[in-house]
Amino acid sequence: MKRFQYVALLTAAFGVFSLQLQEKPVYAASALQTEHAPGSQPTDKLGAEAYANHCAICHGDQRQGNLPAFPPLIGIKRQMTDEQITTLVHTGRGRMPGFPTLPDPELTAILHFLGTTPGVASAAQAAGGSAAKSQTSGLAQAGGALFRQNCAFCHGRDAMGGETGPDLTRSKLVHADVNGDKISEVVREGRPQKGMPAFNLSSSELQSIVAFIHGQVASANSMQGKRRGVDVADLQTGNVEAGKAYFNGPGGCAKCHSATGDLAGIASRYQGLQLEERMLDPRDVKSGVIVTLPSGKQLKGIVAYHDEFTLGMRDGDGVYHSWPVNRIKYTIDSPVDAHVKQFSQYTDADIHNLMAYLQTLR
Amino acid sequence: MKLLKEALVLAAGALLTLGASPHSLRAQNLDSADLIKPPADSWPLYHGDYSGKRHSPLTQITPRNVSNLSLAWAFQTDQTASIKASPLLVDGVLYFTVPDNIWAVDARSGHMLWHFHHPTTQGDHIGQRGVAMYKGWLYFTSPDGHLISLNAKDGSVRWNKIIADVNKGYWTTMAPLVVANHVIIGVSGDFDNLTGYLRALDPDTGETQWQWNSTPPAGTPNTTTGGMTWMTGTYDPKLNLVYWGTGNPTPVLNGSTRPGDNLYTCSIVAINPDNGKLAWGFSVSPHDTHDWDAVETPMLVDGTFHGQPRKMLMQASRNGYFFVLDRTNGKSLLTVPYGPTNWTKGIDKDGHPIPNPDKEPAPDGRLIAPDEGGLTNYRAPSFDPKNGLFIVDAHPSYSIYFAKPADGNYGWAGADYGLWGKGVIEAIDYQTGKIRWSHEVGRGGSGAGVLTTESGVTFTGDAYGNFLALDTSDGKTLWHAGTGASIQSSPISYELDGRQYVLTGSGGVLFAWALPPASTHSPQKVARTP
Repeated sequence: MKRFQYVALLTAAFGVFSLQLQEKPVYAASALQTEHAPGSQPTDKLGAEAYANHCAICHGDQRQGNLPAFPPLIGIKRQMTDEQITTLVHTGRGRMPGFPTLPDPELTAILHFLGTTPGVASAAQAAGGSAAKSQTSGLAQAGGALFRQNCAFCHGRDAMGGETGPDLTRSKLVHADVNGDKISEVVREGRPQKGMPAFNLSSSELQSIVAFIHGQVASANSMQGKRRGVDVADLQTGNVEAGKAYFNGPGGCAKCHSATGDLAGIASRYQGLQLEERMLDPRDVKSGVIVTLPSGKQLKGIVAYHDEFTLGMRDGDGVYHSWPVNRIKYTIDSPVDAHVKQFSQYTDADIHNLMAYLQTLR
Repeated sequence: MKLLKEALVLAAGALLTLGASPHSLRAQNLDSADLIKPPADSWPLYHGDYSGKRHSPLTQITPRNVSNLSLAWAFQTDQTASIKASPLLVDGVLYFTVPDNIWAVDARSGHMLWHFHHPTTQGDHIGQRGVAMYKGWLYFTSPDGHLISLNAKDGSVRWNKIIADVNKGYWTTMAPLVVANHVIIGVSGDFDNLTGYLRALDPDTGETQWQWNSTPPAGTPNTTTGGMTWMTGTYDPKLNLVYWGTGNPTPVLNGSTRPGDNLYTCSIVAINPDNGKLAWGFSVSPHDTHDWDAVETPMLVDGTFHGQPRKMLMQASRNGYFFVLDRTNGKSLLTVPYGPTNWTKGIDKDGHPIPNPDKEPAPDGRLIAPDEGGLTNYRAPSFDPKNGLFIVDAHPSYSIYFAKPADGNYGWAGADYGLWGKGVIEAIDYQTGKIRWSHEVGRGGSGAGVLTTESGVTFTGDAYGNFLALDTSDGKTLWHAGTGASIQSSPISYELDGRQYVLTGSGGVLFAWALPPASTHSPQKVARTP
């Protein structure tokens, strides 16, 4: 709640700031009124009527939208300037029709109306921000539906982990996220290396998903017992000495790694499941490559792309080169291969012991 | 606004067609005979035919000329959802889907005839695997558990029936299977402790004819729930049996509340399509605790097995084992791993893997091969009769599985994390399970299914979005084309106007490949070209 008020303040401040950048006074006037409750201005009635006549059929009486087809307009003024909204209303976009002949006074009133809080009397807002609460939970509700459609298969319906995807209520990134500043980037760009696709969601859709996830963090924190996921405490069943012996002996770890060299302090950098996953498959480690061209010239670099037909390489200066594989000779040095070979060799005890040993390297 | 108008037109169309007699649909009259023996200019079932072999009898594209393969057309869905559907082709029109959407597209040119858009806000939108068709009507499952019947001519809705309760946690993605006068549907939903089922509906009215439940009702003590039926089965018209794979038990990773084999989860079942009675069931993963749905194609092959003529059923299952059964009685002929597996104590005398209790998910983790996605998944395999090869897009992989009492006994009830995997197209000799050849398709694995043709070409894709044509005899690459996105569907093939097309979806785009028209008009000339 506190956070929301802070954001509201911030956006209001931003509204004032953007007012100074506005050139057309008609928009400036409405920007000034951002976040005011309805009932306080004569334009309110006109705005509500104009909204009801032109917008409500798709975006809903309470601006709640009808996802995925029609985005909610709650909080739209935090994502778009009045100028952008005006352009959008005039020209339309996607399945949204344009309203090029909408009279200016009506448009101004709509812009003002969009800055108000839906369905709540100003007195309620003054009485302690319940308006903000209902707006947030409306968003989270819309986000919940979107989450179940797009995210639930991997992250679980309640965002607490499911097939292949981690528990988001325990995610450091989610905890560090403020109003979607971190989550949005991950959703939009995906994490291809970890198998998470990018999602092309609108800002309002993203905002609602973010609201849902934060809501789930709160409800997960209030849950006792039945938490899914892996705690550091779960991974303490191994034997340090046996792990050390495996490291230096049959595990073959010491062939490439050293407890006092590259792995010194590893347990301070990674803990728990993250450490175990890196131990078993350090997936972000790059492969080196030496390419011999038909001329005999040799190039050295990092493998940037490699399929059956093409080799892409980034050289020491970061420049990308690529060749059809049948035109060159090349040798790839992939240190991860040793980890892959080990999968069929480990017993579960080997893994637990190795974990116990690595956790002593602080 | 435009959308509203379209909706009105659709609604009006639906009203009009209500009064129309079925005889007016002759132009697109797909009958049971066509389904039993599909003509070469059609692909009227999810698997192309009832057998699930995905082996095309077409021979225009050959290992010799496939290097000339080029783009005939591409269709953009303009959607972010990947195409996971297998298109149907009937009377020159293709029908394919992503969640909430169906397109009807001219199979010769790739231009759109109509688009059905039915936005739903409930249910998992994980994928949509295609429509079924019977007598000019399409059958489409929506994420929120509805079966919608549409007029194939214009996409107008005839009826819309609820087949699964989305509020309980079911959703639907699968392409229904039409057998005689039955539309057979299956359901998804393993995030809750729910009973899986198959249901047959009347093709004309959508009324339920029968329902077969995989597991006892939820809440029955010491029994399992689960056994979802989310992939399209196969059918043997002579034995009049439908074959279907069932999904994992629930709770998923915690097996303590569901002792025993958990029938009929992770099983292959044979069911009489006229009354829903079980003829036999075979447990592919007794007491599964790794989410290995056994829903992969239960492929029907007639041939000899160790010298004896057999009606066989073959499945490369998600749990890492390749099964050959006698489909008349469900008895095992062969059970053999086709990649790394480490979760069994061997195979019992009846061909069932014996799960190792030490490899059940545990508080401190267990290393498991394959991973949760399995050694293969919904992507289709193919059978090449000439070489006796079962060709599958395999996914050797490792993962760690956790479960502790605090995870409870509802829904997922644990956590698992994939560590590493790669894609390998494997050609399995069905007589022995030996891998005749394998073709690596990249880190992480490919989502592409497999199609073989009578001329000896195997079509599939790699992990980087390359569409591949391989030589079926040795697995060597004959041709490839980058498609720019991950391939998540299985290729199909058909012939129209004397020209053979191969279709593959990649991202939200459907690609049609064919030989250049000149070469298809004079095949002899091609044969003489060096």
